Amino acid sequence: MSLVHLQEAFRAKKHHLSAFLVLGDPTLEVSFELAKKAIELGATMLEVGIAYGDPSADGPAIQKANLRAMAAEAHTEAAFGVMRRIHEAFPHVPMNLLVYGNLVHARGFERFVDEALAAGASSLLVPDILFEEGEELRAVCKAKGLGHAELAGPLTTPKRLVRLAKTIDAYLYLVAFQGVTGARTGGGDAIGELVTRVSAGVDVPVCVGFGLSSGEQVGKVFDSGARVAVVGSYLANAIEAGVNAGPIGDGRHVVESFAKAFAPLAETAKRYG
Amino acid sequence: MPSKADLTPRKGAFGAYGGRYVSELLVPALDELEEARKTIVRSSSFKREFRETLREWAGRPTPLTYVANFSKLCNLQVYLKREDLLHGGAHKTNNVVGQGILAKRMGKKRIIAETGAGQHGVATAMVGARLGFETVVYMGARDVERQAPNVKRMQLCGATVVPVETGSQTLKDAINEALRDWTANLENTHYLLGTVCGPDPFPRLVRDFHRVIGKEAKQQWGDRVGGLPRAVVACVGGGSNAIGIFKAFEKDREVDLVGVEPGGHGLESGEHGATLSKGTVGLLHGARTSVMQDPFGQILEPHSVAAGLDYPGVGPEHAYLRDIGRARYEWATDDEAIEAFETLARTEGIIPAFESAHAIAYAMKAVKLGHYEPGARILINCSGRGDKDLDTYRKLYGHRIGGGVSGAKGAHA
Ligand SMILES: Cc1ncc(COP(=O)(O)O)c(C=O)c1O
Repeated sequence: MSLVHLQEAFRAKKHHLSAFLVLGDPTLEVSFELAKKAIELGATMLEVGIAYGDPSADGPAIQKANLRAMAAEAHTEAAFGVMRRIHEAFPHVPMNLLVYGNLVHARGFERFVDEALAAGASSLLVPDILFEEGEELRAVCKAKGLGHAELAGPLTTPKRLVRLAKTIDAYLYLVAFQGVTGARTGGGDAIGELVTRVSAGVDVPVCVGFGLSSGEQVGKVFDSGARVAVVGSYLANAIEAGVNAGPIGDGRHVVESFAKAFAPLAETAKRYG
Repeated sequence: MPSKADLTPRKGAFGAYGGRYVSELLVPALDELEEARKTIVRSSSFKREFRETLREWAGRPTPLTYVANFSKLCNLQVYLKREDLLHGGAHKTNNVVGQGILAKRMGKKRIIAETGAGQHGVATAMVGARLGFETVVYMGARDVERQAPNVKRMQLCGATVVPVETGSQTLKDAINEALRDWTANLENTHYLLGTVCGPDPFPRLVRDFHRVIGKEAKQQWGDRVGGLPRAVVACVGGGSNAIGIFKAFEKDREVDLVGVEPGGHGLESGEHGATLSKGTVGLLHGARTSVMQDPFGQILEPHSVAAGLDYPGVGPEHAYLRDIGRARYEWATDDEAIEAFETLARTEGIIPAFESAHAIAYAMKAVKLGHYEPGARILINCSGRGDKDLDTYRKLYGHRIGGGVSGAKGAHA
């Protein structure tokens, strides 16, 4: 996979619902089952993370997801293994990697990007390599055909948005709430205004995430001009509930808990082309 | 293998180290802080308030003490810069006074801080009380247990101590949590970072507030001893007390700058915090620097008997000073530090912090290692006092106090 597939997906369909999963949460095997379930229910993209012990941009739900995946020994190579399986099963579903910088840095940029592409990644977003520090990594992505995404937030200035958008070839990942990741209820109007303002200011696809937890929010995000709505912490909470309900085993109850949470959002998304 | 030099930080870089490796969401806070550093910190009224507060509230200048008995043991002439006598019991106060006044002038209502041993937390709580901030201190849940007296001191000064239950529940997790809080509350909150780590501008900001240590020491040395010391020695956790005393001597090439890292149970054991001696280049807490990490880039848990040195990263400027050969980094093990702690107490009546004892331990072996000729004059930063460590000392080494046995392993061994 590569950027080309992501661009194709954007041409084929205007609105995409994406599930964020930490690869290996709660186990390598169940993590694959969760991806499969998300796609069956209607996710047309996936955001995938590699477990990291110091996820300083994440709130409690995704911190715990990282810890569960680390306990399952889902290090970089194992995580790429899960990605490869998902990609083989669903070759047309773009996977966007969201990875903390030190994991990419430690592996070396060239090698990481090569391996990500081989595992089926479409794009890469490194939340803690700030734009100013990211030139080398962007160059490697570009040379090898991996899409490059950047984060922006409610306080990112219009001038800076334009600067970020100029280098982006995948999408602009807009964080809906100032703060760390975490499911939030309400806030629909504020998100709507933010998404409208940002989408109007840049000519790259806008993806919205951090905090979405309802069909209503997903609808609002699409109505305001976003192309992708990402659901993360809310699903991590559902996975946690499944894990807490009993031994993981074949993961059936984890997948059920996950599906129950995701289905209503997927239903809303289906109303959008 | 971690990184070829394929990543050169641009903002506030020290060669290939430093920079801003944080989320976009923190950019407004870092930009605001950098602007304040350039305007407020450089103003004469800020400088006046900083100087006066250090003098009248914190007790600067701190003395320079010649320690004759200890010198004889080391076969050196040893002078201590007495940051242990600063209000709060450690050099940390310089930085919190600076950032506290700065945060006030920036209009912030709330300050947050991380702490490991609790020294920086206590210093922040004290300055928070004096300047009227709401103060929140993040502390790993394991450290809250290990450092109970300091938790009480923070609470007494009105701070809220939040135990951090995630990850390894130690200092690095407390920093992660403080970064999260700051991201969500940057409009009314200043993150009062406790050492020369973190994203730009922190390493420069914190360093500049600690420059007073070296400035005073150099002046006192000139007045009392004359010439320059052969070496300036300081312990290195994040590196703030070391950079604070080094900076005044950096251009004097004949002066050795020696940082002493925690060797824990020995560098071969893997249980240490000698980031500059054994780490590799990585990204941690907003900076590119030398880091203790596994081959995948997962941060490793360090070990030191001195909680204030128990950190898997180090200030980026130290990594730079090491690479250009301007500073040298040695280590002292837990056992060597404890022996230095006991020896200084017994010979000079000065009980140093476990952290500072690492610098003192280096002095005890420097001549034996052939690093200095006998009688060389060296300056050691005694960064803090050891009262906070007495509980730990009693628990781990209590059998060595009093009775006949303790003397056998004493100063003259
Ligand atoms: C007395 C003392 N010295 C040194 C340190 C280490 O910090 P730094 O390397 O930033 O001076 C600490 C940290 O808590 C400390 O309390």
